[in-house]
Amino acid sequence: MTHARRLTLAHLWLAFAAFAVACVLGVWQMWARSPLPAPLLTANAYFTSVTAHGVAMAYVLTTFMVMGFGYYVAETALGRPLPFPRIAWLAFLVGILGVAMAVVTIFGGTATVLFTFYPPLTASPWFYIGLVLVVAASWAWCGIMIAAMAGWKRENPGRPVPLAMFATVANAVMWLWTTVGVSAELVFQVIPAAFGWNLGIDVGLSRTLFSWTLHAIVYFWLIPSYIAFYTMAPQAAGGRLYSDTMGRLTFILFLIYSLPVGMHHLFMDPQQSNAFKFLQMSLTALVAAPTLLTVFTITASMEIAGRLRGGRGLFGWIAALPWERPMVLATGLAFFMLWFGGGGGLINMSYGMNAMVHNTSWVTAHFHLIFGGTVVIMYFAIAYAIWPTLTGRTPASLKAQRVQLWLWFIGMMVLTLPWHYLGLQGQWRRVATFNYADPIIAAWGPWVLVSFAGGLILLASAGLFIWNLLEFHRARAVAFSALRPLYAVAVHPPARVPAALNGFALWNVLVLVLMIAAYGYPIAQAFWINAPQAIIHRVDGRG
Amino acid sequence: MKPADLDDLDRPWRTWASLIIGGMLAFSIVMGFVVIPVVQGYGAGIDPFTAICRAVGLVPGSPSTRQPTSAAKAEPTTQVAWSTQLLRTLSRPTDMGAVVAEGCVACHGQRGIASDPQNPNLAGQSAVAIYKQLHDYKTGSRANDIMTPIAQTLEENQIRAVSVHFAAANRRSLDPTTAEVVDEDIVRLVERGDPARALPACNSCHGFSAGGPIETPTLSHQNREYLARQLRAFRDSSRRNDIYTRMRSVSAKLTDREINRLAEFYATTLQY
Repeated sequence: MTHARRLTLAHLWLAFAAFAVACVLGVWQMWARSPLPAPLLTANAYFTSVTAHGVAMAYVLTTFMVMGFGYYVAETALGRPLPFPRIAWLAFLVGILGVAMAVVTIFGGTATVLFTFYPPLTASPWFYIGLVLVVAASWAWCGIMIAAMAGWKRENPGRPVPLAMFATVANAVMWLWTTVGVSAELVFQVIPAAFGWNLGIDVGLSRTLFSWTLHAIVYFWLIPSYIAFYTMAPQAAGGRLYSDTMGRLTFILFLIYSLPVGMHHLFMDPQQSNAFKFLQMSLTALVAAPTLLTVFTITASMEIAGRLRGGRGLFGWIAALPWERPMVLATGLAFFMLWFGGGGGLINMSYGMNAMVHNTSWVTAHFHLIFGGTVVIMYFAIAYAIWPTLTGRTPASLKAQRVQLWLWFIGMMVLTLPWHYLGLQGQWRRVATFNYADPIIAAWGPWVLVSFAGGLILLASAGLFIWNLLEFHRARAVAFSALRPLYAVAVHPPARVPAALNGFALWNVLVLVLMIAAYGYPIAQAFWINAPQAIIHRVDGRG
Repeated sequence: MKPADLDDLDRPWRTWASLIIGGMLAFSIVMGFVVIPVVQGYGAGIDPFTAICRAVGLVPGSPSTRQPTSAAKAEPTTQVAWSTQLLRTLSRPTDMGAVVAEGCVACHGQRGIASDPQNPNLAGQSAVAIYKQLHDYKTGSRANDIMTPIAQTLEENQIRAVSVHFAAANRRSLDPTTAEVVDEDIVRLVERGDPARALPACNSCHGFSAGGPIETPTLSHQNREYLARQLRAFRDSSRRNDIYTRMRSVSAKLTDREINRLAEFYATTLQY
């Protein structure tokens, strides 16, 4: 094994270990919200658990998955050793230290503030510093990804960067832009407040800065899944990628339109004006473009595979696809969930309709379906695809992997569809328990129980996933798949591409223009409008 | 390929990408900053210039129907307005504190631990909580035959100083051997509340890491007689200085037994 493979394994194991713990907490949380008496339930325990669940799923699973997969892609797609492996290991250790600080403060009861950074509720400063360390580790990863691509381009002048790496670097560039908002919020506002140096805080500014990060971070989590859609799924299906250019355009559009749109999280906030909310809403609508491009391109790629396998007629190619292969199955299930999750997202981003679902369970259900469903099921598929190449072993049968993916899909649908419905009924989010003696709330009870059942199915799936990963380490069969190429060839492999589709200089300039238009005045106004300061409320007992 | 050819390949991308993205941005700006505010403002009787200024955020308000006004006069439950400057002074001890405290010791004890359990212990209570109550006595938000005239003689800076003084004192020590076995339903009220009666957990505001209002007092180590009397005062609304009637609505749902046992719980339990 090379350096990068051990590095990838270390990152992915940490990511999935956090995921497994967070699944247990998630099920308990749904139990707590249900009419059934949950063990150990207090409001404090609930918010401790939600904080741990959110941090583990949204920061640990994702960041380490993205980093580990990125190192893997940099080595395998570019076919050259990873640059700066020592810095990568150092970043991993810094990340672990950060995670440990977050874990200690959360379970020590001094960080029951959920995983979103919304002051004036403020946790122990060490919670925030721990998470800043995780972000710092990911910055090192961004630098290494950019250096890897630059090195490859120097050695291969004029040749198109392989799509998987181009997408990974698009994600790294986007992440550098993304984290500016939350870093500014933490370093200049929240951490000084958490130390007690400031007693007041401009929450309008901090919410605006957090919104800068809040949408793009979701695409940071999502892009590995899209890399799998474009490069791994067509290959696994035995076909070719319909269009390499579409892929490049998709990742570029994610870079551009994930950033100047975060204010759609602030539609109900008073500190920003209607015009800027409208501007960011209409830019948000453009995010649908890369998603629809992807649906089209991947469906076309799958059709090529299906027809190559003898599929006939308008839909016959669908049945002809090799659904027994986990990557193909996961892609199909992910697309199915993407329709529901994407549709819900269009409602969230519409300024008018947002008022109906704001702060209800609809929002929580939405991001569980789109992230926990579409994105995480592709994390599983990626793990199944690359693990044999990391350990050189593979289980004799893929049945357990298919069962796990189906369980995840069924569990996620059973969990989130009633949850959406309850949001429309007005069930609020971020609440530990409900008063089921109230006749209106009592009618919610059965649907929460359905969601709870979905959670139990998800937990079974998560357990099976970890078991499946262990199989890759202890199985006797040698992985022949390790020798197969993982990344699909395009129908028309690009011989040369314009610089615009082979790098990010042009797009960085355009992002800058959009960010100044969308966030320039909304942030600048905080410095000349004498906004009232909210009084810091620290939950770590120091306040 | 020659560099010149590459440049030919790239130029249309640069041009078109910039034009398309710039065009979409311009469209959004025209719609959001001009068209929608002006059209909506027209319906609400707002002139176009004001409508645009409101949409941008230069003038407060949004271009929708004007809201009805009310002549009703607000009657706040308390006159205390927290500010960072006030909170800062409540974290700084002064020499004046001990001087002012001389007037308190007869009822609240030399070190803030009351000899008569009808009176509250002040030792170790948060300065913010003590300040709120003294200020409320002074302004009439809370009334008491003894405390009201005393508080009315105090100046603002004396109230601040004495609050800090007692907050710094050591809390009443508890003998763990005297702690009574506490009923399960009382612990549940403290930790979980009772959703069936829409009763929040006491801990959700009074707990160690709670997110409740900053003026929430610490209850542990308090005198049981005082605590029970206050809960009853909230229940019959003879005490009314709780914002949003929080404590009045909570205590109205408590039984006599629960009030007594909760007071007992806080007076004898080491934690919380």
